[in-house]
Formats: sequence, C-alpha cells, structure tokens
Amino acid sequence: MELDFACRYPFTEEGKQAIIENNIQVNDEIAERAVQRVLNAMNWRDKEGRGIYDPTYAHLSDKLTEIGSYGAARMMLSHLRNRYLTNSFAVGEAKRAYAFLKGLEEGHPDIKRLQEEFGVVPEKREGKDTLPLATYVKFAPRSVDYRLVNRNVKGGRVEIRKKGAGVSKREDLRLLQEAIKIRVGHLGTIKNAPEIIRKHSERLMKSMPKVAPSKMSFEKGDNPPCIEKLLEAARLHQNLGHQGRWSLAVYLINKGVPYEKILGIFSNFPDYDERIASYQIKHAINRNYTMPACSMMLSYGLCVANCKVKSPLGWDEWKKRKRS
Amino acid sequence: MEEKEAKLVLDSFSGYYKSAEITVPSIEQREFGVGGFRKKIEGRHMGFGTNGMLHNYLVQDTPLYISHSIAYYKFPEATPMENKEWMGGDLVFDLDVHAGMFLSEAEIEGVKNDAVSLLEDFLIEDFGVEKKDTLLVFSGGRGFHIHIKSPQFRDLGGDERRELADYVGGVGLNYEKFFEAPDENKRVWGPRKTDWGYRGRFCRFLEKVLDDDPSSIHRGLKKPQEKAKLHSCMEDGNWSKTPIKDIIPRLRAVAERMKIGTINVDSGVTIDTKRLIRVPGTLHGSTGLIAKKLDKIEGFHPYHDAIAFGSEPLKIRVLENIGEQEFCNSTMGKMEKGEEKEVPMSYGIYLLLKGAATLS
Ligand code: SF4
Repeated sequence: MELDFACRYPFTEEGKQAIIENNIQVNDEIAERAVQRVLNAMNWRDKEGRGIYDPTYAHLSDKLTEIGSYGAARMMLSHLRNRYLTNSFAVGEAKRAYAFLKGLEEGHPDIKRLQEEFGVVPEKREGKDTLPLATYVKFAPRSVDYRLVNRNVKGGRVEIRKKGAGVSKREDLRLLQEAIKIRVGHLGTIKNAPEIIRKHSERLMKSMPKVAPSKMSFEKGDNPPCIEKLLEAARLHQNLGHQGRWSLAVYLINKGVPYEKILGIFSNFPDYDERIASYQIKHAINRNYTMPACSMMLSYGLCVANCKVKSPLGWDEWKKRKRS
Repeated sequence: MEEKEAKLVLDSFSGYYKSAEITVPSIEQREFGVGGFRKKIEGRHMGFGTNGMLHNYLVQDTPLYISHSIAYYKFPEATPMENKEWMGGDLVFDLDVHAGMFLSEAEIEGVKNDAVSLLEDFLIEDFGVEKKDTLLVFSGGRGFHIHIKSPQFRDLGGDERRELADYVGGVGLNYEKFFEAPDENKRVWGPRKTDWGYRGRFCRFLEKVLDDDPSSIHRGLKKPQEKAKLHSCMEDGNWSKTPIKDIIPRLRAVAERMKIGTINVDSGVTIDTKRLIRVPGTLHGSTGLIAKKLDKIEGFHPYHDAIAFGSEPLKIRVLENIGEQEFCNSTMGKMEKGEEKEVPMSYGIYLLLKGAATLS
C-alpha cells in the first residue's frame, strides 16, 4: 500500500523514503523510464487520464522502477538545467497527480496525506472551508477565477469551495496541484552527475519534440507592460492561465503576427499541446476576436501598469505621443 | 541648493541624529541605501552590523535620505542582487498624496482615514494581521507606510504580494464573479450576507440601497414582497428566487458604490520584494520631517508632531509667495516673494529643502 502511494505521488516524503528503504539505484531501466517520464510530462493529456501508470496490480520491481524513475528524472533535469524541460516536467507531474486525486472521493486518506504534507489542509471557519491567506496566494492558480479580490476573505482565511452550490471544480485539489507543481519544479544543483545520468540526459535532449522553443524578436519596451509580462512568461516557460494565453494570442493576431510565429511562442508554455494550441489560435484568427480592454485585463489580473490607454492595442500610439 | 544651505541642513540633521534613538530590527540582514541633494538613492548595497554603527554613520556621514530594504538578506552588501541571498521580506503598504508644497488639511485627513481603514478593515479584519506585527510610520513626506512583520507573509513573492495590494485597492474587483454560472437545476448561486470581504460588503451595500432607493435597481422592488425575495437571495445565496431576470447587470451601480471603500495604495511598493523604504525615525530629505513611528494616528499632525528641530529662529529669504501655514504648533504668516524673515528652524529647513527659500 505504502509503495503504491509512493508510486502515485513520488514527490512526497513517502517517495523519498521508498527510495532510501529499498535502496533504489539508478540503472539503465530506471533511467530509460525517467526519460520517458519527462517526455510524457511534456505531452501530458489530462483528458481521459491516458498514460497514467496505475501501480495497484503492478509487480514489486516495477513499482520500484517507477518510483526510481521520478528521482532519476529530477537528477537529469538538475544536470541539464533547462528551464523549459523542468517547467514542463513540473506541470506534467502535477497534472498527473491531479488525475489520480480527482477520481477519489472527498476525505480520502490520500488527499488528506498530501494536503498535510503540502500544508494546504482546509479548515472550517464559520462553516466555510478555508486556507490561510498566505498559503492561498502562494498556490492559487493565476486565473481570474481565483483572484483574491473576488473571494471570501476574513481574519487571514480565504474560502475554498468544493463541488456543489454552483461550483464545478474541486478547488482544494487544484491548489494542491499547484503546490505540487512548485515543489517538483524546485531542483537542487548537482555538480558531477553520475555517468548514467549524463548519458540518458543527452538522449533526453535528443528526443525532445522538434517544435523547439522559438526565439522571440520583440524588443523590450516595444509592447505594453501587460503583454511584455505574458511574453516574458512564455520566454521563461512558465505556465499561463487561460485568459493570459487568450489575451496574448489575440494581441499577437491583431498585431499581424503570423500563425506559425504565434504557435512558436505558445510552444514555450510547459503544457504546450500543439493540437490544442493550433486549434485555439486558428479559432481566434477566424473569429476575429477583439482585444480585451484594459479594464478587462485588469479584472483578469493581467494588467500590470497604469498606462493611460483603453486597450493594450492603443498603447503604441500613446507611447509614441508621450515620447514626442 | 547652495553650499551654505546644504551645510546648515546636514549639520542640523546630524544634530538631530545625535540624540535620536533609531533601531532597525534585524539590522544585520538589511540592505541600506542613502541619498543626497541630487538623488533620493545615490548609493545602495550598504550594510550595518549593529544599530550602534548605524547611529555613528548618521551622526558623522549624515545622509539626506536613508532607507533600508524591506527584505532580509544573508549578505546584504553583496552585489549583484542575486548574491545577497534573499531570505524574505516585510510586507509594506505605501499611502501617498500627490500634493503641492504643503499637504492641505483635507489631504491630511483623507490619507489618515485611508491609513486607519487599511489597517483596521483590510489588514486586521480581512488579512488577519495582528496589531503587534504592524508598524505605522509617517513617511516624512506625503503619506504613511505600514510595515507588516508577520512571518506568514515573509516569503511571498512579487506576484503574490500583488494579489494582496490589488485586494486592498479593489483592483480587478468584478462583482459578476461573485455569481456562479447556473447549475444543473438552472439555479444561480451568488453572494450572501454572511460572506466575507467584498462579497459581504456587496450584500451590505445592496441592503442599504434596498432600504433607501430600491427602484434605482428595478421598479418592482418597491413592492415589499419583491424586496423580501431579494433579501432572501442574500440569505442562502440562491439568487434564482428573484423574478428579475437581469438582476446581475442591474446591480452594477451597487458594485460601483462598493469601490468607494477601497484604498489607493502604491502597489509598486508592495510588490517589490527588494524595495528600499525610509528608515523609521530618520529624516526625510525633502522636508526635514521625521519619518515617525506612530502608536496611533488619531491626533497626529505631520507639521506639528513630526518636527525634528527646535524653534530657534532661522533667517531666510523666500523665493516665491507662500500662504499662511500651520507648522510647529502655530500659524506661520504669509510671505511675499523676496521677503526676508526669521522663522522657526524646522519651518525654515522645510522651505529650504523645498527650494522655496534660501538663507539670507
Ligand atoms: S493599462 Fe492596459 S496596456 Fe497598460 S498594462 Fe494595463 S492592460 Fe496593459
């Protein structure tokens, strides 16, 4: 049972312990699985939970390989220090964990254990499930639905809603997912990686999908601050919420950036899925969507300055006027 | 500023520091920055191992401005910034009035009220900050700083701090987000009276509007039974009970009223985890007033209670017309451009630093 938990959630203390107690050493099989693990994370599809390894009926040695592959993958990523890979891995692993968790009924011991370990155990206050404010802002997804300003906040607690009463998401699990992502993305440094790690890291680099992260040619200061921030997120391979991506796509389309180039920019996002991204971008192009106004950007939490314009598209003109 | 004025100012500052007691908590982990007549921050990456060392520096090398990092660093003097090793930082809010040469009485009252509301309604009531972890400081210039030292906020990054600043400022406040999309039974769930934060405030505003001017929302609400239905929506959060189909857009005006209760903080200060902020107890180089720590704000007046120098006279020549002004617990008379006059030291230094006078 314990090993199953470590298999599903190898980023936990339990996972660490399992490696120590079973004296798991990286061998070719584990390293091979680790490479696969990173590649899977990059192509992660949450939809049907496809590709999830369920340890329940697996053989012991297989479970150990599975747990070891997580550790080996992290060693490779520490060795490679490639932000794109690391962030993709973190996003993928967190989504993978979420896929397990969302199938569990409320109050399941696995959920409790993880919430305790990550410090995101909801507590009741005045009949509401709540988290401490600082924890909430740390782990709330950067999306308009989670903006603090539209939430129930009191006495340093923020209400977390579970399914029911018009709430369709398990917000408690969504925050847990974010906490997992952050932990997985924190890597130590390794100076002298063992030969086996170096060898397989190289292979990992070679098997990376061909849509390489594109180089962006937008000069700093040429776009409004909100858009620069979104582009920066892409450059740093950080994940962006739906509104962020959407606004960025619409902006780029309105600026006449060609489809391929936009797709290239989107390929920087750690959970990039060419099929979905290309659909979204094409859809936005065909429908000729208008750019969200600054007031809208503000309510999405994407506005980062107080430019004297109504829409990010008007920024250019304004800047020119200001300069002259 | 000419040399003799600059010398007088710095000598007076030094004199003040001789007897001032300035203690910076965790001083050995703070970065310091100092400024002079040209710039508010001319040098940074400085550090002081002890408060005694800071004291000596202030007396001997007296700067015009001095600020310390809100951050705690392992190596505060190291450069570049990454090498300092950030270990967290206080959460700071900055309230400022954009004023002319003097703050008007109305501006002073306004910013004081904002500071009280920020502290009591937002930081204590909503954010759960304990009073003992807060430090309220008159900035020495045009407003107030509130430093929060609670450990739970220390390691928050810039984006997270922005959420807090935006909350206080009501930035991105969108009352429509208080309502969920209709559920499978086509019921719309929304805010309740018992809700917290802005959601609760929204209901309280709405209750008031229902009492005072219900027809501003919908004519039908003049009927007691319709009004009662809306009250009932706010009881259990089921907003499908009112027959007014477009109730949500009709509440926009109520939401606008709610915005009045938000506080205009300078979010650039709050989100900057490496910000330098005026050292409490030191002098502000644009006014000569003390960046004074305050136990309570009631009764505080910057031009009477943050005075650093004595009332000995200073002879000045004013460079512009200056109206009557409250200062140093009395009323300073009007002065005409070019006039020479003896004024209390603190007032004279204030005018010198504002570039409105020279020594005569
Ligand atoms: S004001 Fe408008 S253009 Fe400027 S950052 Fe905000 S959203 Fe962007």
